[in-house]
Amino acid sequence: MLDVIFIGLSLGSILLLVALGLAITYGAMGVINMAHGEMVMVGAYTTVMGALWLNLGFLASLPLAFVVTALLGWAIERVVVRRLYGRLLDTLLATWGVAILVQQAVRLEFGMSFFGLHIQGLGPGLQNVKVPEWMTGVAGIFGNQVNIYRLFIILVTLVLTLVTWLLMYRSEIGIQVRAIMRNPRMAAACGIDVQRINGLTFAYGSGLAGVAGVMMSGFKTVFPDMGTSMVVDGFMVVVVGGVGSLFGSVLSAGLLGQVNGGVASFTNDILARAVVFGLVILIIIVKPTGLFSFKGR
Amino acid sequence: MITTRNLDRAAYIIFIALILLAPLVLQEFWLNRIAKFLVFGILGVAVSICWGYGGILNLGQGLFFGAGAYMLAMSLKLASNTSLQQGSDQPVPDFMLWNAEPGAPTELCCISKVSFLWLPFQSQWFGVAMGVVLPIVLAFVLGSIVFRKRIAGVFVSVITLALVLLVRLLVIDAQPVTNGFNGLTDLGTFQVAGFEFEPYSRATYYLVAGFLALALVGGRLLVETRAGLILQAIRDDQNRARYLGFDVPVYQVFFFTVSAAISGIAGMLYVIVAEFASPTFMDLSFSITMVVWAALGGRSSLLGACIGALLINVVAATVSETQMFVEAWKAMIGLVFVLVVLFLPRGLAGFGQDIAEALSARRKPAAVAEAEGRTP
Amino acid sequence: MSLDRRSLLKAGAMGAAAITAPSFFTRSAAAAETIKVGVLFSLTGGLSIIEKSLADATMMAIAEINAAGGVMGRKVEAVLEDGASDPKTYNEKASKLIVGDKLATVFGSYTSASRKAVLPVFEKHNAMYFYPTYYEGFECSRNVVYTGAVPNQQLSNFIPWIVKNLGKKKFFIVGSNYIYPREMAKVCKILMKQNGAEFVADEYLELGHSEWGSMVNKIKNSGCDAVLSNVVGDSVVAFYREFKNQGLTHDKLPICATVTSEIEIAAMGAEYAVGSYTSFPYFMAIDSERNKSFVERYRAFVKDPKAVTHHALESSYFQVFLWKQAVEKAGAATADAIRDGVRGQEFDAPNGHVTVDKENLHTYLTPRIAQWQADGQAKIVDAYPQPVEPLPYVAYGETSSNLFCTPKGLDASKLKKS
Repeated sequence: MLDVIFIGLSLGSILLLVALGLAITYGAMGVINMAHGEMVMVGAYTTVMGALWLNLGFLASLPLAFVVTALLGWAIERVVVRRLYGRLLDTLLATWGVAILVQQAVRLEFGMSFFGLHIQGLGPGLQNVKVPEWMTGVAGIFGNQVNIYRLFIILVTLVLTLVTWLLMYRSEIGIQVRAIMRNPRMAAACGIDVQRINGLTFAYGSGLAGVAGVMMSGFKTVFPDMGTSMVVDGFMVVVVGGVGSLFGSVLSAGLLGQVNGGVASFTNDILARAVVFGLVILIIIVKPTGLFSFKGR
Repeated sequence: MITTRNLDRAAYIIFIALILLAPLVLQEFWLNRIAKFLVFGILGVAVSICWGYGGILNLGQGLFFGAGAYMLAMSLKLASNTSLQQGSDQPVPDFMLWNAEPGAPTELCCISKVSFLWLPFQSQWFGVAMGVVLPIVLAFVLGSIVFRKRIAGVFVSVITLALVLLVRLLVIDAQPVTNGFNGLTDLGTFQVAGFEFEPYSRATYYLVAGFLALALVGGRLLVETRAGLILQAIRDDQNRARYLGFDVPVYQVFFFTVSAAISGIAGMLYVIVAEFASPTFMDLSFSITMVVWAALGGRSSLLGACIGALLINVVAATVSETQMFVEAWKAMIGLVFVLVVLFLPRGLAGFGQDIAEALSARRKPAAVAEAEGRTP
Repeated sequence: MSLDRRSLLKAGAMGAAAITAPSFFTRSAAAAETIKVGVLFSLTGGLSIIEKSLADATMMAIAEINAAGGVMGRKVEAVLEDGASDPKTYNEKASKLIVGDKLATVFGSYTSASRKAVLPVFEKHNAMYFYPTYYEGFECSRNVVYTGAVPNQQLSNFIPWIVKNLGKKKFFIVGSNYIYPREMAKVCKILMKQNGAEFVADEYLELGHSEWGSMVNKIKNSGCDAVLSNVVGDSVVAFYREFKNQGLTHDKLPICATVTSEIEIAAMGAEYAVGSYTSFPYFMAIDSERNKSFVERYRAFVKDPKAVTHHALESSYFQVFLWKQAVEKAGAATADAIRDGVRGQEFDAPNGHVTVDKENLHTYLTPRIAQWQADGQAKIVDAYPQPVEPLPYVAYGETSSNLFCTPKGLDASKLKKS
């Protein structure tokens, strides 16, 4: 029984890891960032490239991936998203185009493949990420065998959630973000540099995705399309949790994770996924604004 | 006198004339390919009704397309000689025999637990009827629940998205009755009174083109009715429409269902033209692609959305078949797409309307206030 | 014919001379000289992780044929199309190649779903499709040449070998949720019964699923002593990693796989697969000069010194040569000529001697069992002494003395008796 709960917890933490960034960009900024999955992918590729070209270890690529994806996110905000504020559904479409672009950039090795050049670590194939030996295998905790890698993911997710919470609710910049969230015009009138804050928020959300990418690269597969399915899951978590509520996202990720893990162990994984989809539909129908939400905008 | 309205009508007439005259210059292959793209054009119309006029962004339009496709494909599968000669005297699709438990009876009624559902599909017209009825029922039930609960905006999108993924998952899992991931292939030909609609024939092209013309004209007339205008009012401000005393969900459900029915018909036509049905019709990426077509063409113009679908597909096909771009075409499509969303927010149709308005403004200073194309 | 390095170089020089010669003629004459063939794989989308390498191998074979003087003195021109990992696109591109460009031959497809989606185009317009992937069988098309393994060529020695040499009796069967793994499971169960073993579970996961926590936990608690994996695609990597991460080891509980190839091993890192088994007709580690030269040439061709080769890739390569020989034998490059010409065609492929079956257009291949080593390469631990006859309907009781699929088509009456 305990192992099932642990798997559920682990599933939830993975969902949350991806959703956390979305909760920021969507929840706080109202941008449906379909390229979020590609940020995860870029984070994973940063790990691959870091190991190949800079001889970076797995853990050392965590901060690097954050920086790389944050910069990329900041650039995307600058060039694309900034022009679309207030056009919620258009951000979905534009970032979908961005997602295709990022994917193809990795697949075509930034166009180098046309000149017959091959960059090690890029291209259409699968990539390998080396995980430190101590992170593979199991550890005995209170007589239970616990998967160390999954435990590590849970820890990372916890830390990131905490950091994000502190940033959002206990920092100067967080106050400004939340002010923009409730009413951007009023915030601007109060002297908040909305553009700058939005750029930073988007960069932070993307950076979180990058960190998620590093974690994913260690136990899933790294390839150009890896992010596509993640953004859907992450998006569902955020919407079910209630837009703009960090706590809601945490709760819904935990709930969906436990349901998925539980149903999977008693029946099978396919049914589990179906139940999760069904649950998402049901929750939105019963509580259209998500589990936790506030009136705003 | 040139008015935008007249120009608009002229555009419809010219477009329909063009697609009806196209077979004069199209060869066998392009005839079939354009027919496939016209099917996507029909989908563009469906998305436009729902999204452009109703403000309901359905990210699961593929569900209705897939439902229509599977319903007809089931009938055509049972009409295929080659797939029925696989070890049973009874008309049983080949894959059912492969997937059957050892010792199961080789009859359609009972080869697997739910295979009896296939029985009525032995009649082609049952499949055709179901291809429209199933999307309508699905859309009606879903719409009634969702819109009665006053769910709107992005929440509708997430529900439809989750639903299409759910159904896709179940269709793949129900391999003994759906052939799972491979979909329904090796189908018979669609027949009307003994006449066979071969996929590469002109007749099939005209069948598709005819339905597209019908969808365009019918859709256009529909959105110009009083109900259509109310729908647009709801799109612009749901609460205001409600306070004015309109029963908002009724209009939403109606147009949501109409859009679903059109998608279902498109699904059936696609099966006739491409000769297979696949669970990838219910992939999320396909549903998003449909929305992309409509956005590029102009979501709030039926013709624009339709032309958007045609244009993207023709361009994608031509670019991807230029040997130089065979690997880069997708990146180019992505780039074009970002640029269009950024710089032509109302799509090509909006761009066209701007030009038309600029033309008519010369003659008539007060711009004609038309409802369409004026999304806030 | 064989292609070692030296003869290739020599032929290359001759080919180069042949290339320069026709340029003296007018352009239209030169254009008429080429034989066009279609190459249809996914270069974009999720499946391109594998299909891109199949396209590369095909293009390499065509380049080598051209360098060696072409086919009947004519150069081969490839028309490369992108299936975009989507059956809809596959169908459209196939119709472009066959109906639009009027080509007689296409090399392509990885998944059964994409093959099924293009089949009507080939059958109704009579063109030939060369399909390089291992698949589930149950197909007897006059328009397809199948050069990958069918279930009997991957399993008939595998299960008995596991039972006999590893002493495993209780299998946990796991696979991706579509027809190929399900059919493989069916054949496995028949073989397990015959060899006195049993299966404790038969479970499936969505294709592309990468969350293995629950499934591996089930395997752990099932009491099985071997895992038979028919898991396909990128899920494989996540599976092996989770397997090790939950503390399972291949020396106690080996994963015996039918799809795990060099590509996935390279992606997951060899440490996760050491000691597990795979059954395939081709491994990159096959110790022959021909294969070593093949690997070397492939790496040079894709300009990647670390590129790996695998079964479907090798089939993609040698099937082009089978096509070439068929055209030369029949003296024409039309579909009917190729179909007649390819029957019984033999070739020394990197995996060994391959023969196209005269009856069912599938290919004789040599089943091999290999254990994965710490360097990411396979060590072949068992191999059939000679190539094995392909039996696409083996699950229905097809045997070499009682073939179901013949040039006349499928004899459906034989299916009924089982």
